[in-house]
Amino acid sequence: MSETTREGVQQSNGRVETSHHPETDPQRKDKNYYGIPPIKHAHWTWQIPVYFWIGGLGAGVHLFSTVAQLLGHRDEALTRTSRYTVLATMLISPVLLIWDLGRPERFYNMLRIIKLRSPMSTQSWSVFAYGNLGGLIAARQAAEDGLLGRDNFLVRLVKLIPARFLSLVALPVGLNVGSNTGNLISATSVPIWARNWLFMGPMFLTSGLSTAPSWLSLVLHLTRSGEEKTLRTLHRAEKATLVIEAGLIGASLVRMSKWSKPLFSREVAPLFVGGTLLGGITAPMALLFGKESRQKSILASVLALAGGLAFRFAIIKGGRISADDPEAYFTFASEANAPQPEDKI
Amino acid sequence: MATGFLTDTTVCIGCKACEVACKQWNQLPADGYELTGDSYDNTKQLSGTTWRHVAFIENPKKRRLTGDVDLVALAEEVTEQLPGGAELDALGRWAFMSDVCKHCVEAPCQQACPTGAIIRNEFDNVYIQPDICNGCGYCVPACPYGVITQVPHDGRAFKCTLCYDRQRDGLEPACAKACPTNSIMFGEVEELEQIAEERVQDLHDKGYTQAYVWGTPEVGGTGGIKGNHSKFILMDEPEVYNLPRHPYLPQEKVKGGTIASMIAAGVLGAVVALAFRD
Repeated sequence: MSETTREGVQQSNGRVETSHHPETDPQRKDKNYYGIPPIKHAHWTWQIPVYFWIGGLGAGVHLFSTVAQLLGHRDEALTRTSRYTVLATMLISPVLLIWDLGRPERFYNMLRIIKLRSPMSTQSWSVFAYGNLGGLIAARQAAEDGLLGRDNFLVRLVKLIPARFLSLVALPVGLNVGSNTGNLISATSVPIWARNWLFMGPMFLTSGLSTAPSWLSLVLHLTRSGEEKTLRTLHRAEKATLVIEAGLIGASLVRMSKWSKPLFSREVAPLFVGGTLLGGITAPMALLFGKESRQKSILASVLALAGGLAFRFAIIKGGRISADDPEAYFTFASEANAPQPEDKI
Repeated sequence: MATGFLTDTTVCIGCKACEVACKQWNQLPADGYELTGDSYDNTKQLSGTTWRHVAFIENPKKRRLTGDVDLVALAEEVTEQLPGGAELDALGRWAFMSDVCKHCVEAPCQQACPTGAIIRNEFDNVYIQPDICNGCGYCVPACPYGVITQVPHDGRAFKCTLCYDRQRDGLEPACAKACPTNSIMFGEVEELEQIAEERVQDLHDKGYTQAYVWGTPEVGGTGGIKGNHSKFILMDEPEVYNLPRHPYLPQEKVKGGTIASMIAAGVLGAVVALAFRD
């Protein structure tokens, strides 16, 4: 060994480049174990964000039609669209959810117990109850629409279903389907989700509710049905919920503070900034606040719906990046950054 | 009676006998043959198929041994006054830690589990019933220590059972049985707490003032988890061992989040109702 090499080895001894210890390795400021994530991310694939979107839509649509019912606003087209939409969303949702299970054939174990502390448990029960209620209500609608045949025993039986009463019963359940998804992801160890426990549920509910009038007005416009007043109301509701959604996203970003970084990462920014903030909120708002026309309304609806889907994907993908970042988790799980039992908000 | 582990990292020699014993006893599949280049650790982390994982932490801060050193004196734990001002800190130069499920007092995975597959058994250990689990995977991001994962080809979630089967037969868990230096101790939690306290005091008396117990409600296990049944004696900051400093119970805010959602639902209902006014 030459003298210079020996010297080099001796000088570098204590600061070997492959060595881990962060305090002595000048290239590494962060403290962690070879960059291996200290927590594991959720395995959830595309089915889960799509379910979040569809479930939120089903909840929002029902809220809209039930409020219309309560206010005595009767519009056959609105009621019909809303009831069939709820049925469709609640037929698709369990398929997506069961598909995502590691052992799909054991899906029924979800209804084995009720656990109020587990949002996954309350969510399963809510989807179960809401799906059944929505099914009964849609059956009554189908009977009235003559889809079940004319005046046979089945039709007479189905027409006994008190659809308007069941709509009221289903309202809180449906709202839970829409908001509980947010609480579900915030009740984890993933920094970006857990930090935002206060606004996650409201944000998901509002996003679902902003897609609902978009969907309803889209269907009514495309089928050229629905009363003028309904469409005006839908546009007003769309604008109002988009504004509230934008406000809640802003509040969430403040609350997530530095842990919101994954939303602006290269992978997620197109979905979050492009798809949600610009495409899903700003663009439809610009279209809706201008002079109203059918084409513009249809375009705004499509954009808002796509924005809602992009938003769910952005949040789920952002959570994966957040969970895989040791620095994010360690700063989060130190001092008072993580939510503490004594925290009120 | 609650049983648990006490893993004394100061006497761990990184032999991985615990990893092997665990794999063998629990018939866990191999994780592949990846060479990570991260010291001698090719296991990397705990997972559904690795329930004990030995972390290899190289700590080159403490200078190497130079000059004419009395190795016998060193072996007898005389650390002060080495020739040439050299420091030899056998505990600091290498740090090994055999990581395992923490068996939390208030377990986030158990609270998250929607099927009730995750229970506390009669030994007060957190146990996944494999015949109930339907692989929803919600326990995985709930765990603040990254212990549980889903096993891909199986679909279900798995983690350390604290050798439930062996305990029922009056045996200690496979890893503790295999540990040649008694770094892994198994027993009643209260007893282990006392041993840990004495050991840390002993280490402090010998000059290793950085030693501490991790997994008590005071250090690691705040925020509603209320401590762990698997405790560790550590010699460095928790992050160095890939452990969080103040983990918290994720379900702590479910109630608050639900109330916030209810308020939001009321406000949104009112907004929709207002939209009906022409």
